[in-house]
Amino acid sequence: MTILPFTMAAGEALALGFATGPVCVATCGPVVVPWMLAQSEGVRRHGLQLGLFMTARLTGYLLFGAAVWLAGAAIPRAWTGRSWLLGAVQVLLAVSLAAYATGWPRRRPKCAQRPEPLVQIGEPMRGKARSALALGFLTGINICPPFLVAGVRAVQLDSLSASLLFFALFFVGTAVWFLPLLSLGLLRRTPAVVTVARAAALLLACWYGFSGVLVLIERVIYG
Amino acid sequence: MRKRILAVAGYVAAALTLFVALSVPFVLMGGIAKAFAQAGFNLAPVYSGGTVARTIERNGYRIQVYQPVRPRPFQNGEPFVQVAFVPASALPAQICEEIDLDGYGRPDVRVSFAVPSNPQTPMRGDVQALNDRYDTLTGIGADSYSRFLARTGDRIVLRIPLPRHD
Amino acid sequence: MASQASPTMSAPAFRSVGRSMLLTVPMALWSLLMFTPSFLHAGPDSRIACGVVAAFMTVLFYQMMRTGTTYRWRRYFFVALGLLFPVGFIASLVAVRGSMSIPIERMVSGDTPFCYMVTPMLIIPAALTRTLIFPGSILPTASNPHSIAAMIGIWLAMTLVLGKAWCSYACFFGGIEEGFAALPKHARIRKLDPRFRLAPWAILLAVVLLSAVMFEPVYCMWLCPFKTVTEFPAVRDAETALQFGIFVALFLGLVVALPLLTKKRTQCGFFCPFGAFQSLFNKINVFDIRFDRTKCVDCGSCRSACPTMAITAESVREGKTLLNCMKCGACVDSCKKDAAVWHVKGTAVAGKPERARLLFLYGAWAMATMFGGSVLAHGVATLIHFVARN
Repeated sequence: MTILPFTMAAGEALALGFATGPVCVATCGPVVVPWMLAQSEGVRRHGLQLGLFMTARLTGYLLFGAAVWLAGAAIPRAWTGRSWLLGAVQVLLAVSLAAYATGWPRRRPKCAQRPEPLVQIGEPMRGKARSALALGFLTGINICPPFLVAGVRAVQLDSLSASLLFFALFFVGTAVWFLPLLSLGLLRRTPAVVTVARAAALLLACWYGFSGVLVLIERVIYG
Repeated sequence: MRKRILAVAGYVAAALTLFVALSVPFVLMGGIAKAFAQAGFNLAPVYSGGTVARTIERNGYRIQVYQPVRPRPFQNGEPFVQVAFVPASALPAQICEEIDLDGYGRPDVRVSFAVPSNPQTPMRGDVQALNDRYDTLTGIGADSYSRFLARTGDRIVLRIPLPRHD
Repeated sequence: MASQASPTMSAPAFRSVGRSMLLTVPMALWSLLMFTPSFLHAGPDSRIACGVVAAFMTVLFYQMMRTGTTYRWRRYFFVALGLLFPVGFIASLVAVRGSMSIPIERMVSGDTPFCYMVTPMLIIPAALTRTLIFPGSILPTASNPHSIAAMIGIWLAMTLVLGKAWCSYACFFGGIEEGFAALPKHARIRKLDPRFRLAPWAILLAVVLLSAVMFEPVYCMWLCPFKTVTEFPAVRDAETALQFGIFVALFLGLVVALPLLTKKRTQCGFFCPFGAFQSLFNKINVFDIRFDRTKCVDCGSCRSACPTMAITAESVREGKTLLNCMKCGACVDSCKKDAAVWHVKGTAVAGKPERARLLFLYGAWAMATMFGGSVLAHGVATLIHFVARN
């Protein structure tokens, strides 16, 4: 295992993140765009929501960075379990998006004495924060090729904190490409726009669910 | 006054639309097509096979080895590398070639197939792996985007799957 | 001189024979111009077909001038287009490769003809990576004249003229369901949830975003009902079999059954994402349909007549249609009070609707003759060839 000087690695992390940013936006787009469109308008409100989403995404990145460094080079190179995680993440994304689109579960009266679910979609603001965090985290741990390339580089660093910093800088490189999504806050929200966004989110949830189940079935059958 | 200006502008726009309609078959259609073609777009690598990495000259034909093509996130399919034998019309009746796919200077696979005289005839061929990075494929035809052997136009295209974790 | 009679579907002549013929002359000349090259260089089947179609288009336009109505005559052309396009297309496929299915070799060789419905899905991948996610060829080739550049050229040029009226004058699929919708006397399902109108936008958003992720045209791979009457990826495994099953189910449901039950263009109005995409061009198109509030009595005829629910009570109160109006003319022709009128943006609503209609129709019919007419001619030539051979 070669040890890279971190200054070189830092530049590489930023460059890699910036170069693969369009792929990240395209990959996260089906999750982020309908979710943002279904909310009230306002660039500031969208900025806050996108910030929460990106924070959760960063958390996913850092968790992966830590796991990669701790396990060594084995994970990126020959980890056939990657498709298990991909399938599971897609199914979870599907459930989250569907819950958000349909407004399920509905808020229960305080006297119902039931614990609040992990993801509560829709009004009020607190529910939106949970959806931002859930969707952000799930997209953050979606292991796509640029992510794996970053993982291969990160294991060559000499400490866990260096690996985490590498992933954080990689994240910053990709995050630049998410800034134009703030312009969605300028779009006037009519009931039609929100209905379209929620319907699109439901359709995408069906797609992710179908895709995730297929991946898991393939893993079960073919190993 | 404002209403009059808007009305005049509207009718001018309507007349212009008519003018545009008349120009469509003679100028506009072809002009847009030309501009689009020159805009520097490329076909998706899963369809086109990607870009040529290197060319190996042979007697009367050449072998083009392409850059590896990898699936996008959420995209089904295996990564593959495309090899093209060009021109198909100049190929001998039987091809048996050892090809360096990754450019490291050593042959990775041995490819063998018969070149049918009728271009419409479906093809079958074999790919024998010369190292453990590739799989040996027997009777490969036009099976999928990543496992493919067929004549397309005046070239014979072969696609060999790459290991997924590469 | 034009009569002042109300231009309803069964009204007496709106315009004299002489004046109608005079107004038709430019369109007749245009038809001659469009069909003469094919006429001169083609075989006897194609010559007859060109003559028949040129006459057909000219007669329909004459009828539009004579009666002052649009919808019925446009529908004859449009249904003929929907029926004859598959005839000519499928015959070409069978002649060249013996089947409607696209073998994977043709996709790899870039021989898949480009369909304009892919256009919205190309945008994000092309913008971000300069990549076209379609198994065709960018430039025309001997084996694929319908290249991506050529078809984009045709689509964009015509869209600048037509806007969303593409769905009434150019799309070679919409006529199929319009034909089915015209068959029953009355609708069996009369009440439709108006939110269905938003479904094409949701599907558009979903397929555009997914296509950017998957790097393939998701709508074409999974959701296009018209694969059933054109071409589809060869069935070679469970996935392609499932895709084919979905195409057939959507076709039978949205294009055949629902139009028969509702007398609406259900695929166009409640599903087609390309239609939603075309609606955006209505924003820049200078023609639209308006409602003269001084004449409108809120009878609802226009709402009932509209094949895609592009008119609501609220929109009529505001004097306009919704963004997804296809400018088919059904509402104008059904209105007994002449309140629904053709309109040029910027001009007065109650100004000169017939002038607006003429300005629109000359452009739209010119496009229909150029594009749809050539497809009709190919279909007719195929039928003539088939009949003559047998």
